[in-house]
This record gives sequence, C-alpha cells and structure tokens, in this order.
Amino acid sequence: MKKLAIALLLALSPALALAKEVLPFIDNDYGRALKMARTKNVPLFVDAWAPW
Amino acid sequence: MRAFVFTDKALERYAGQFVWLAIDTENGTNAAFLKKYPINVWPTLLIVDPKKESVALRYSGGATVPQLKKLLADGTKLMHGKQSAADEALSRADGLETAGKHAEAAIAYEAAFAAAPKDWSRSGRAAESLVFALALAHDQARCAARAAELYPRVKGTYSAANVAATGLGCAGDLKEDDPHRAPLLDTLEKASRETLDDAKIPLSGDDRSGLYETLIGTRASMKDEAGATTLRQEWATFLEAEAAKGKTAEQRAVYDPHRLGAYIALKQPEKAIPMLEQSEKDFPTDYNPPARLASAYKAMGRYDDALAANGRALQRAYGPRKIGILRNRSDLYALKGDKNTARKTMEEALQYAESLPAEQRSEALLASLRKKIATM
Repeated sequence: MKKLAIALLLALSPALALAKEVLPFIDNDYGRALKMARTKNVPLFVDAWAPW
Repeated sequence: MRAFVFTDKALERYAGQFVWLAIDTENGTNAAFLKKYPINVWPTLLIVDPKKESVALRYSGGATVPQLKKLLADGTKLMHGKQSAADEALSRADGLETAGKHAEAAIAYEAAFAAAPKDWSRSGRAAESLVFALALAHDQARCAARAAELYPRVKGTYSAANVAATGLGCAGDLKEDDPHRAPLLDTLEKASRETLDDAKIPLSGDDRSGLYETLIGTRASMKDEAGATTLRQEWATFLEAEAAKGKTAEQRAVYDPHRLGAYIALKQPEKAIPMLEQSEKDFPTDYNPPARLASAYKAMGRYDDALAANGRALQRAYGPRKIGILRNRSDLYALKGDKNTARKTMEEALQYAESLPAEQRSEALLASLRKKIATM
C-alpha cells in the first residue's frame, strides 16, 4: 500500500539490519551503483525506502 | 519488502540481471540522489537506464514477489524492446512523476490509456500510477472519479487495492456538499471491501492492512463510530494473525506500527507494549521500537515511561524522522506541565530541521514548527 509524505507517522518498514537479502544490494551509493550498471550494461534497480 | 520480498529465493535468478541499489531517504548522504530523483512515496521502486540516467519505470509503493517479477520484466523490455505508443507514454509519465510534475504525469498516464489496446498488460500499473498522480496533484475529484471508472478494469488483481483505496481516500477529501461525494464513497468503499475480502488476490498483509485503514477512515469520516470500531477490531485480529505467521523477527515487526495504530484507536495501547519491548530487544539499534513504545506509554498516560523510551529513540534517530521524535518529546513535557522544557525541545526540533540538507528539508514543516513555538 502506498504512503504519501503526509502519512509518515503510519509508515511501515522497520530498519532491518538482520535481513538476509538474496539480491546483492549496494547501500546508499548511487555513483558506485551507476558506474557498475554501466560497466555491466544492465539496468539499475533502486529501492528508495525509509527506516520508519 | 526487506522482510518478505528481497529475502525470497525466487528472486535469486535476477541477481545478475540488474545492479541493485538501496537508498535510505533519511540518510543525508543521499541528498544528491534525492535532488535528481525526488521521493514522496515510500517505498518507491525505480528502474533506471544507466547510460541515459533516465527512469524507465517508476512504481510508487511496495510490491509482492510476483509484482516485482513483472516490474523487472517490464523495466527490461521498456529499456531494450521496441515500445508501443502506450508504453512510450507510460515511460514519459513515469519520468514526469519522478520530476514531481504530478499534474503533467497524470495527463501522460491518460495518454497512455488512450493509446493502449484493451488487453494492455500494463494497464494495472498505469491505473495505480494515474490515480496516485492525481491524488498527489490534489485533484481529488478526478482521482476519485477515475478510480471508480478504472476499478472494474483492475478488479481481482493486486492493482485493485491501490486504485480502490487511493480513490476512496480522495472521495473522502471531497467537500461534504459535493454531489459526487456520496456516490463515489459508496462505490469505492464497496470496491475496497471487495478487494480486501478477495483471498485469491496475492496481496501482502501490508496491502490488506492499508485497505483496513482506509475503510476505517471512511467510516469515521461518516461519523459511523460503531462501524469504525467493528472494523478496528477486525483489523487488530487480522494483524495479530499476520504477525503470528511471521517466520523471522523482521516479518513479525513489520506489523508493529499497524498494530500500535489499531490498539491506540481501540483505546487498548497497553496491548502494544509486549511486542514493542520484544522488537527493541530484537533490533537494538533501531529507533522505531522505542519511538513506538513512547507513543503507547503516552496513550496510557505514563509520561515518564514515554519520555524514557523517547530518549532511547532520540539517541538512535537520524534524518527527518528525528524531528518528529523531538516534537513528541516536546508534547510529553507539555503534558507533564513543564512548559519551559517543552518550548526548548521544540526549538531544538526547529534547529535540527533547519540543519538538514535542502532535499530533506520541508518548508511547510519549518513553518509549522515556527508557528508552534510562537504559541508556546
């Protein structure tokens, strides 16, 4: 379910330091990810999230 | 998505087909990213063409594993395949939405529909995006009307939840003397309930919880307190069952904020304490469990316990969320009758808000903080 900015206080996902992701996410480094995507010639997938 | 989707082994085969980037929008180091790609819905999923640095696909909101697979396939095709006129319009609309041009994006989504064949495979995503762009453009009348028109097209699919619930929210925002309000509320409330009850739609627990929230809000706005209370009880029972199904601490904790909201609305905030204490143990660096504990204690009138929990949250918080935690702290001092500390804490919140990078700063929030301080 989508959430608008005004719905911040009801937002959903807690910070999940222990999550075992099967996808090799790069954290918070757009420049590095963009460079890697260009080198590998694959699209860049972005999950823009917030820890609340 | 981190608890349920990105951990699903069904996605392993996609690992090498994309470069995967997670952007914490609260983290100040992402200011340049946020300037280029403003985010106003959480989560927002983007597929970016790295050569052009342009958005091939934008999806506002969380996705289940089957939804994500479809988005990944769509994004790849939109970047590499020959595009139809409808697909081109959809990509253009996604780009406009990314630029924060909601009204123009809505026009482009309409153009995509106008150019699309009846069996267009992207009609569900386009319908969700159109209705949402209209809501963000504050065109509530058209948002509700288009949601009601598009619902039959997406009925029985996972897009039905966002179309019906977003449209219902828009209908509720129409002026009470608007002659379209009552029929739109009726149509979209039935659509939301029908979607919630359709067990065949592979919605996430989060999606179904969102439908409950919208339905409860609608009943409350109609002053049907008995109907709202019945729904809140149903919602709480649903959330408890979903949390009990969680296989990991992360999966259980996903429902913490929903359950807290339900318990506070039912005037049973004490029910939230054990789960939040458990989450604070499970995630000792996460500010959310103590921040939520503070809300539960506040609702119980236990202001000293609330301040202690708020203090722990404050130590762990960063980014724009820290402003809300400071505001809550100020409210707690005010409730205790300590006006001086309440004002000082609100000033601290303003000072912190002003120190954030421009992309994380909200002028409206700054104005509301200044207004509040002036009255203290």
